[in-house]
Amino acid sequence: VLEALFVALLLASLVFFALRLLPGDPAQLILGDEASPAELARVRATLHLDQPLFVQYLGFLRGLATLDLGDSLRQPGTHAMARVAAAVVPTGALAAIAVGLGTVAGLAAAVLASGPWLGGLTRWVERGLVAAAAAPLVAFAPVLTWALAVRARVVPLPGDPDTPAAGLLFASALLAIPLAAHLGRIARASLADVARAQFLVTAQAKGVAPARVWVVHALAAVAGPITTVVATQLGALLGGAVVLERMFERRGLGTLILEAYATRDLPVLEGAVVATGVLFIVAQAAGVAVHTAIDPRARSNA
Amino acid sequence: MRSRRWLDLAPLALVVSASALGAAVSREPPGRLHPAQAWCGPSFERPLGCGEAGVDLLSLVSSAELRAVALASIVSVVGLAIGTPLGAAAALARGRFERVVERSCDLVQALPSFILALAVLSALRTPSRAALAAVFALTAWAPFARLALAQTRVLRDAAFVEAAVALGRGRPGVVVRHILPNLLGVVAVQLGSTGAAIVVSEAALAFVGFAPPGGVSLGGVLDQGVAAMLLAPHVLLIGGAAVFATSASMLVAGRAARSLPVGRRS
Repeated sequence: VLEALFVALLLASLVFFALRLLPGDPAQLILGDEASPAELARVRATLHLDQPLFVQYLGFLRGLATLDLGDSLRQPGTHAMARVAAAVVPTGALAAIAVGLGTVAGLAAAVLASGPWLGGLTRWVERGLVAAAAAPLVAFAPVLTWALAVRARVVPLPGDPDTPAAGLLFASALLAIPLAAHLGRIARASLADVARAQFLVTAQAKGVAPARVWVVHALAAVAGPITTVVATQLGALLGGAVVLERMFERRGLGTLILEAYATRDLPVLEGAVVATGVLFIVAQAAGVAVHTAIDPRARSNA
Repeated sequence: MRSRRWLDLAPLALVVSASALGAAVSREPPGRLHPAQAWCGPSFERPLGCGEAGVDLLSLVSSAELRAVALASIVSVVGLAIGTPLGAAAALARGRFERVVERSCDLVQALPSFILALAVLSALRTPSRAALAAVFALTAWAPFARLALAQTRVLRDAAFVEAAVALGRGRPGVVVRHILPNLLGVVAVQLGSTGAAIVVSEAALAFVGFAPPGGVSLGGVLDQGVAAMLLAPHVLLIGGAAVFATSASMLVAGRAARSLPVGRRS
């Protein structure tokens, strides 16, 4: 938990100091080159840029703790945090569905490749996983979208407002592909390790059906590596969510960060970056909780 | 074994020479506009066709590929140069320093690197290539340090290192003669996956709008392709294929370092 808080604080501090210490006056960036000195002074005052850096930083931390980073610069009267909160929901839904789909698909592939069902096809499942794990999302997502939306017409076009559910599901499925591939490879390797464990041999000797052996007994035992893979892939997943939100013109944290960047809306930008970090941490913590719930060995150690 | 290793470098060499050839053949700087030919398909004069406002895709894609490979190579070598000595020193020093380096690697590798890059780059109006390199280098050293740490831990207790110490070789001598050669082969394998990740990140950042000045980036090509998905699908297909070829060739090239026999000259 301490480490998680530290990661959030690190991200927050990084965006804070990057905005203030890197060359270029934020007030000038916000107002453009033809701003009058009076306007510049007014913007500096609203953002507290006229105070010493240390005081600004304390104020920023207090703002984070009380969830109040001030008003959005571009939509005066709206709290920056309100805009951020409105964006968390779609991104959270996109990421959560992607994690769910990716986990189920990856585990299904791993179990199929481990059990006795596929025979000679097993190697093709493994090769498919390797190929999918090496394919970058930013390259295959546009190509797949073109193939399925423009050529085959089975999914809605990017930005189509009439079918929000299908659009969300398709974006999540794209986002789930890299996760499923990584997870499938690790789960396959872990299952091969576990296959020789005594409790599995016992279960098989008792006459338990192969499907039950692999799904109930073996999968529970590899819950540890699986949750670790999901946790390490979360950062990439959130990055992918930004790319897909931009591609499908979906509202969310990614598009909010990009919009706040384009319009130099500092309070919103800081809030959105921190919220993304917090989303990442909450998801990681959820992973640990799931692991302890599934694997009895993790509980007894805790 | 030796010929196999050179084979691993072939895809990268192919990508680089094809891009260099493309840049030479296209005879015009990337990004020149020919509005009359906007989104035109591949033809004899424009082998890859045109993109938004009639930019020649052959010229744009080739120079973007060359720059992506250069950026990725530089950053991964810098990552190796920082991470390897750090990890090796940590393992040799043992104690608190070792623990601190190990924890920092964990921490840096747990950071969502794409969001980190967005956060830092959002402070700049248009990110220069140097800024991109600096942002990637912030996290690129960690996997190298992690590998060097793990491998040095094995080596520091190896019989031949103990023998060298017993025979009276000093610490610097042991490091240079016995540890480093056995370390580099293991650590250098990471160059490929770090390089591939940087190619992809650079493209993804440019795709979402953090393009370097001039917009010469594979991500920019993909962005144009998505915008004109219905009108000119060749732009998107070319961009996707270029990102895939560049990152995959870097990944394969990294395997050339596998079983690098630096330490086994005797």
